[in-house]
Amino acid sequence: MATKRKTKAKSARNPGKKTAPTRTVKATRKPAKKSARRAPRKRAARQPNRAAKQTAPAAIPTKRSRRADGSADNGVDVAALLAAREALTAAPAGAKFKWRATCDWLNGTHARSAVDGFFGLGGEQAHRKRYAFESDHPEVFASEDNGATPVEMVLCGLAGCLTAGVASVAQRRNVQLHSVKATLEGSMDLQGILGIDGDVRNGFDDIVVSFEIDADASRDDIEAIVAQSQKRSAVYDIITNPTNVAVVVK
Amino acid sequence: MTVRVATSRTARDDVPVVIVGAGHSGLAMSAMLAERGVEHVLFERGEVANAWRTERWDSLRLLTPNWQNTLPGYRYDGADPDGYMTVPEVVDFIAAYAERIAAPVRTRTSVKSVKPEDAGFRVTTAAESIRCSAVVLANGACAIPSVPAFGSSLPASIVQVTPREYRNPGMLPDGGVLVVGASATGLQLADEIHRSGRSVTLAVGEHVRMPRVYRGADVYRWLDVLGLLDQRFDEVDDLVRARRVPSPQLIGTPERATLDLNALTANGVVLVGRLATIRDGKALFSGGLRNNCAMADLKLGRLLDAIDGWIAAHGRDNEFDEPVRFERTRVDAAPALSLDLTGGSIRSVVWATGYRPDYHWLDVPAAFDQKGRLQHDGGVVAAPGLYALGLTFLRRRKSSFIHGATDDARDLADHLCGRLGASRRKSGR
Repeated sequence: MATKRKTKAKSARNPGKKTAPTRTVKATRKPAKKSARRAPRKRAARQPNRAAKQTAPAAIPTKRSRRADGSADNGVDVAALLAAREALTAAPAGAKFKWRATCDWLNGTHARSAVDGFFGLGGEQAHRKRYAFESDHPEVFASEDNGATPVEMVLCGLAGCLTAGVASVAQRRNVQLHSVKATLEGSMDLQGILGIDGDVRNGFDDIVVSFEIDADASRDDIEAIVAQSQKRSAVYDIITNPTNVAVVVK
Repeated sequence: MTVRVATSRTARDDVPVVIVGAGHSGLAMSAMLAERGVEHVLFERGEVANAWRTERWDSLRLLTPNWQNTLPGYRYDGADPDGYMTVPEVVDFIAAYAERIAAPVRTRTSVKSVKPEDAGFRVTTAAESIRCSAVVLANGACAIPSVPAFGSSLPASIVQVTPREYRNPGMLPDGGVLVVGASATGLQLADEIHRSGRSVTLAVGEHVRMPRVYRGADVYRWLDVLGLLDQRFDEVDDLVRARRVPSPQLIGTPERATLDLNALTANGVVLVGRLATIRDGKALFSGGLRNNCAMADLKLGRLLDAIDGWIAAHGRDNEFDEPVRFERTRVDAAPALSLDLTGGSIRSVVWATGYRPDYHWLDVPAAFDQKGRLQHDGGVVAAPGLYALGLTFLRRRKSSFIHGATDDARDLADHLCGRLGASRRKSGR
């Protein structure tokens, strides 16, 4: 079924749906203040000994703007990513990575997971520092709620992956992002994990990710960036496709 | 302009050039070599246009309209330039061309092996062994159906068919059918199998959505006008990706109908995500169907915008129908993630998962990359003296189309002649 279009201008800029979560804003912002703001952040990132700076969560940038030459600046080094792609095309062995995590039981449902090293580019690699994550169950499950539930951590992984993808794809397409906010909701029927109904699965029935994006781009372009981010997302693939999992006891 | 090369063969060659395959690509190359005075022979395992005679389903028609189907110095001159040829018509079209150019085809002659020999090749058939300086691989991009490795995990009770053997729905058992793949082939087969009274589930991965007709003209007219079909392999941003783009969801019918996923689901075909694997007798599908449909819808929107832009820029709005936009692909809120293949509801699986060329007889290691794929730069294969034709986006987006053969064959014939000339100069002839 086809719908008639009234005018060309309308279709290009205003494709119709008004209820959707993304926003389109055309804005030009002053590039001058940009470098002054970014420089100290970069220095902080390179000095792992400054514990105070490290533990403070990175501030959500309220305003981002294009570089002086008019190119988008989302803080993604696309040139490096493209160079890596070329290098790993030539040397496919370097593209084989192993991601690792450890997890220590603390008490009850409370556990602490951590990531530190990983394997890639033909050798052992390390994060800038060790990152730890507390997981627990909430008080409504008669637990102490010392951290996120593991299923919420899955949502965080999906959100982080898709958002990183949005920034990278936008950078590659020279689209300036001003703000990106993802809101995730996973539906689950506890009759599965509680073993009440064998027909109910343990995991999510479905996951809805809603992006609110303020960027120098049309709605269609923003949707295309979000679509491409899904296409290239590792966590999206992990969640939408089956993965072999081996759990062994040493 | 063409450069004539001396017709004499080198001292060592039985014939300077061997072309493997007498389909439209091999014949286009034959015409180009003849024009340049280069002696050659075509080895054809069956008859001219063999794959069209033996490996296509009954209802198939070309996706390109008749006016678009050209070969060097040859075009459709029938009564229906906007129609789409049936398979017998394609066979006649190509066979008539072979006769017209008096191509030196040896039919019923399968090439058993091609091996490097000095600076050339030795080509062996059942009947003879020939030394030549150059070999042109024109034996077709659609030779071996690409079936995923997990296809072997299907329960034995399920009948498996590839488009190479498929002829019509009557050859499938009664009962449900899982069609895997939603490019032109998958959509066409899903449609006719569903019309035969079988329930059809269609597994949909990445796909390219196009209307048959837009603003009154065939979509291939627009791709042609926009220059997309002539886009060159050394112009595109990401050639690897461009070569992976599946064939658009199109069908050639006398009614010039659009066949898209919405048309299928309106008739009762059930959509599921890409088939991820078979496990414990169950087909498991990706949960990413929605995004694959969204990507195709957005890409379609960009194409239609480009067409509208072209029409407006040329001030020709009043020559064409009003612009329209098509309904977004309808996807169920919760498409099935698995399908039991042992319970009897599904009796057969159709693998519309693409094809790859067959080079098993090509005993030239330098021609292949580490994954065993032909390694070539716009058809100039990594092993000097070897050329390929007819592959997806070989030199241009139209390379795998019938009308794409002319420009590619011309370019590669020039390259080949340059090489023959150089080797002749080197050997002092």
